[in-house]
Amino acid sequence: MRATRPSALLFSAMLLALASSPAWSAAKLLVDLSDDEIAITTGFTGTELLLFGAKEERGDVVVVLRGPVRDAVVRRRERIAGVWVNRESVVFRGLPAYYRVASNRPIEEIAPPGILAANGITAGTLDVAGAADIPAALRAPFRDGLIRNKTRQGLYGYDPTGVAIQGGRLFRTTATFPANVPTGPYRVDVYLFDRGKLAARRESTLVVRKVGLGAEVFGFAHRQAALYGIIAIVVAVAAGWFAGVVFRR
Amino acid sequence: MQIYLPIAEVSVNVAVLLGLGGGVGFLSGLFGVGGGFLMTPLLIFIGIPPAVAVATEANQVVAASVSGALAHWRRGNVDIKMGLVLLAGGFVGSSLGVWLFTVLRGIGQIDFVISVSYVVFLGIVGVLMVFESVRAWQRQRNPAAPRRKLHQHYWVHGLPLKMRFRASKLYISALLPFFIGLFVGVLAAIMGVGGGFVMVPAMIYLLGMPTSIVVGTSLFQIVFVTANVTLLQAINNQTVDIILALFLLIGGVIGAQIGARFSARLRGEQLRILLGLIVLAVCVRVAYGLVATPDDLFALGVPGGRE
Repeated sequence: MRATRPSALLFSAMLLALASSPAWSAAKLLVDLSDDEIAITTGFTGTELLLFGAKEERGDVVVVLRGPVRDAVVRRRERIAGVWVNRESVVFRGLPAYYRVASNRPIEEIAPPGILAANGITAGTLDVAGAADIPAALRAPFRDGLIRNKTRQGLYGYDPTGVAIQGGRLFRTTATFPANVPTGPYRVDVYLFDRGKLAARRESTLVVRKVGLGAEVFGFAHRQAALYGIIAIVVAVAAGWFAGVVFRR
Repeated sequence: MQIYLPIAEVSVNVAVLLGLGGGVGFLSGLFGVGGGFLMTPLLIFIGIPPAVAVATEANQVVAASVSGALAHWRRGNVDIKMGLVLLAGGFVGSSLGVWLFTVLRGIGQIDFVISVSYVVFLGIVGVLMVFESVRAWQRQRNPAAPRRKLHQHYWVHGLPLKMRFRASKLYISALLPFFIGLFVGVLAAIMGVGGGFVMVPAMIYLLGMPTSIVVGTSLFQIVFVTANVTLLQAINNQTVDIILALFLLIGGVIGAQIGARFSARLRGEQLRILLGLIVLAVCVRVAYGLVATPDDLFALGVPGGRE
């Protein structure tokens, strides 16, 4: 893990200096991330990302993190003859694999639902665009099941008090990424709402990638599957043979 | 210390992996089984995705059984001819099994099939083992009781393609070991096991092989069947986690060697009762997972059978 706090303090100090200068008035919202890359190394157990910035005196901040787009399969279990079996399944297409919303107060107090939805902020209810071909009766329970599972895995979340505002101008929030965080490009949107209307928006990007040995192994297993399998066997045979020789003495 | 497993895509404790490998390896050396039937459910319990647990365990069983098979080979406890016939069936069966695995994974039924296979086969084998061993034990304490005949003749002895297996002192149809090998091969692929827990009783009770060479011959063919499963799983599903396998086999090969030494000191019947009880315990635990009401009726699956 990196030491994010000192750099955040430094940046906050810089922002404060900037905010007090006349040039600042043009920018209503400034944002930075403690890191623009999350590296999944061999020792990776999940990580936190600090997002901080400065804003106009007035207004509420909503931060939305969206992970890479994936298809998600949700299955419902049913009890048949005493045992639980997967029955119907629904495929949600083009869903963010990671989706997190944080704000300084509950989003329904910040802006009306129409304006939030127009900006793609749908905490807790997640508008599932790819679910158009799903029967209406199934859509709601399967969508709720999906959100519940994703939330349990730490991949979806909504924190209505996750953004801390200091002195009206500086704000910060921490996003957590579990060990099973999906790899790929992430988008970070920061919205400034003033009296229910969008006043400013900043977008930045973030990449989650596997690095080092883990990345090599994963890439190799997918690109050269047969060779990977043969190497796995050779390693196992060698280890077994080696142990046999060592223990013979 | 935590380690991130690149294929399983989860972070687990290294000590847990080494402990699991060592403990299961010890039992596998002790009983002459691959240990997969214990390891695969344990891996699933600690949060490894079932598809990865099954494929990786096949890889680990290769290592565990190589060191066990070599130990038996040196003592001359392997019937190579019988092993090759079993293996021929095993190759066909395990290839069939991996194909079935891929299909079931795509339609979201693989976890269920894995669990049901465990309950059914562990249940049958465990009960048979315990009963048979208890009876054998009682017979020893009471030698007056009638003994089982050395050779029983039933319909399988009428099958064609008879072959002489000198080391096993048998003259039987090659079809019988071939189909046993095939059947166990399917199980090996779907359950992530070597299949020793089915193979060993089948060799003793169905083929009538002498107990002394059963374990060595079983391990001999398990090496090749699990190698085949590893290769096919790597190609079809990319679910073999080499890092996970490495940690398991570091503990596993050491445990297996120690276990093999202990097995010489314990009596056969006691060993089999003990193994039978362990098998039944795993069976009950997996069965509980099938009938217990899940916390959430909805679960996420793998789209199209691929990650």
